[in-house]
Amino acid sequence: MSSPPEAPASRSAVIHDLGYRPYEGPRLGERAVARALFVTGLRNSYGLGRSARSKAFPMILLGLMLLPALILVGVLVQAKTLLGLSEQIVPYSTYPLTTQLLISVFVAAQAPALFSRDLRFGTITLYLARPVRRSTYVLMRLASLATATLVLVGAPLLLLYAGGVLAGLPLGRETLRTLGALVGAVLLAACLAGIGALVASLTIRRGLAVAGIIVVLLVSYTVVSAVQGIALDSGHEQVGVVAGLFSPYTLVQGVEVLLFDAPQATPTPPSGVGDGVLYLLVTAAVVLASVALLLARYRRVRT
Amino acid sequence: MTSLVLEHVSRWFRNVVAVNDMSMTIGPGITGLLGPNGAGKSTLIALMSGFLAPSAGSVTLDGEPLWRNESVYRRIGLVPEREALFDYLTGRQFVVANAELHGLVDPGAAAAAAVALVEMTDAQDRAISTYSKGMRQRIKMASALVHEPEVLLLDEPFNGMDPRQRLHLMDLLRAMGAEGRTVLFSSHILEEVEQVARQIEVVVAGRHAASGDFGAIRRLMTDRPNRFVIRTSDDRVLASVLLADPSVRGVRLRSEGGIEVEASDFGRFSEVLPRAAREHRVRLLEVSPTDESLESVFAYLVAP
Amino acid sequence: MSAVLSPTVSRLGVRSVFGRRRGVLLYVLPVVLVGLAALVRGLVGDDLLAAQHTLQGLGLVVVVPLVALLATTGLFSPEIDDGSIAYLLAKPVRRHTIVLSKLVVAWGCAVAFGVVPVLVAGLVLRPSDPAFGLGFALGALAGGLAYCVLFALLSVLSRHAVIIGLVYLLIWESLLGGLLDGVRWLSVGRWSQAIAEPVADVSLVDKLGAGYSVVATLVVVVIGTWLTSRRLRAFNLTGDE
Repeated sequence: MSSPPEAPASRSAVIHDLGYRPYEGPRLGERAVARALFVTGLRNSYGLGRSARSKAFPMILLGLMLLPALILVGVLVQAKTLLGLSEQIVPYSTYPLTTQLLISVFVAAQAPALFSRDLRFGTITLYLARPVRRSTYVLMRLASLATATLVLVGAPLLLLYAGGVLAGLPLGRETLRTLGALVGAVLLAACLAGIGALVASLTIRRGLAVAGIIVVLLVSYTVVSAVQGIALDSGHEQVGVVAGLFSPYTLVQGVEVLLFDAPQATPTPPSGVGDGVLYLLVTAAVVLASVALLLARYRRVRT
Repeated sequence: MTSLVLEHVSRWFRNVVAVNDMSMTIGPGITGLLGPNGAGKSTLIALMSGFLAPSAGSVTLDGEPLWRNESVYRRIGLVPEREALFDYLTGRQFVVANAELHGLVDPGAAAAAAVALVEMTDAQDRAISTYSKGMRQRIKMASALVHEPEVLLLDEPFNGMDPRQRLHLMDLLRAMGAEGRTVLFSSHILEEVEQVARQIEVVVAGRHAASGDFGAIRRLMTDRPNRFVIRTSDDRVLASVLLADPSVRGVRLRSEGGIEVEASDFGRFSEVLPRAAREHRVRLLEVSPTDESLESVFAYLVAP
Repeated sequence: MSAVLSPTVSRLGVRSVFGRRRGVLLYVLPVVLVGLAALVRGLVGDDLLAAQHTLQGLGLVVVVPLVALLATTGLFSPEIDDGSIAYLLAKPVRRHTIVLSKLVVAWGCAVAFGVVPVLVAGLVLRPSDPAFGLGFALGALAGGLAYCVLFALLSVLSRHAVIIGLVYLLIWESLLGGLLDGVRWLSVGRWSQAIAEPVADVSLVDKLGAGYSVVATLVVVVIGTWLTSRRLRAFNLTGDE
């Protein structure tokens, strides 16, 4: 019950109205809502702003991602002259490929938290009741997931870079290589986030979403690497190149090999302009298609 | 005559005691299990339906334990609180499946009878995912009744029902009770329990607070004053006379006519009132107790 | 109810697995396996090593356990999670009947989506040597039986059965199994490979006999089923979430 805030002031006595007052002041628009969604999603992916238990898993994964980089840097710094090392032991662009299991597990764990959970508990109705469009909600969530994955993929690269520079590797060369690897990391994060979000939005059960994402990412890589190995052995390299399109890890690796002359890490990397265009197109297609399908999926959600 | 007997039953989950040394006997007829949310009603029903083992004490149905004893389900029908059902089945398929699991000789006929009893015959061929909340409750009832159990346990059965469905379910429960079945239903809504069950078991914070007829419970609570509303031909005179008597704690003149009397000694007051009225030639038009309702009983029991 | 199997429970189970989106994933994995087999055959012809890698690396290690995981958890977990298993348990049906009836459906899925595709892939890869495909199919059968029971037990023990099952597969069987030798005695995947060895006439696992593996699989199936039934007998289901 609200009453007018005029207080019957008599001498020194005043009655304060402490009842419900509606808010009449300025309100922030959709942009602020979108920013808030993005920032919260990103923070929650690492457990910031939530309980200690939800910090454990992503932080452990981040630590596990950084650990090999730390060891590699340590070896580089200490034994550079001893071993005659003139460049990074594991190239920047190869590092995500090597640690892909950790990255896949991270995406598989956090995508359901960002997408399936709201669908399961119906909190999506609360979000959409605010002045934010459906598409904005979806895109911001996707952006949080992609940025969180980018942090996971990019942090060890920066660590390797810092360590390399400290160990005395040529600054210009390392900077260029790191930048190229970071571009690759952005593409990888976008692809993984798109695929993860799409799978997570298709089911409300968290366990199934986690399993689905792991299956898609893991099985695709296993099959692709098997095909590439066989293609190389049997002399049908082009088959291997085409197969590399079917896993985000090999896809982005191929783009980096072509655009930034990264050292090859797969048996049959793309070569030549034709392959390059194909790889770039497919990367763009994966990202755009997953966004489009995600938007379509959320348009069908009933609130 | 089937009765569920709980003897000194306690159930704790680590350091939370959900049910604290309760003993009760649920006999034939309709019993209402009443209590605020979190009082342990669902835990009790889970104990009585064999889905939870007591940490101490025993829960038996005519002497047979309920825990780890699946043959006892021939005689129990359970209507759980949770809404989840086999959404991909139609109503009829669901009830038939339940009938088959009970090993009934003619599951189709039994299912048809149960569905007709809950008045879901028109909707029985639609998928359960299309049902409203009230329809789901009714199909759950049908699945619990299909094997004609002697004991019927319902956990918050009136949740989500509109008034017409609620009346129908109340009639159904009264019919079950009249047939001599043992029916127990839990609720935290007083009006529902008041209209169906005369026998209530009140649980508060895991403890058995009261049991029996709620009017009788009311009368047992002697330290609370009884309130009456009396409409008379001369309010003020009667009021001043009553105030002189030690059994009367307070009198209030109502603006709409009549007086409200708070009497601490019901026995004495019931003699004083007619005598005072006769002596002072005041005609009593209506004498009604205002707090012999389940609500006042409940409020009394639940008050800290 | 003295029957060992309940057709009602099985029927409900079949509807449960194929009525949900899980069912789609079940079709995808065998298609990928057979597709890859065809591709490999096209690339290298009748090559023993390539065929062995495909059937072992993708078939026995990936497709069979994942099919078992998806099918079995789809039969148990959703009903336990939302409480609708109460309708199966509040019946005078023996618990091992319920478990076995659901397991029969799970085993059926493992055969249809795991064993048969492995056999077909084996025949596609090496049509000259049907014993090859048959051997791997036998290994897949043993693996499927054991995996289903294992995941059924996980489903009734924990709400996070799918994740724990994945951890078992990825960390215990794949990661640690590759690093430590002793894991092979306790790894369903290794047993299935050991069973495939004598019939397919290949060598997949070191120092693990087919005899031990058969016995171990049977032990897992029997004891796992018994433990799952025991757990369902003492199943806690309260009204609240």
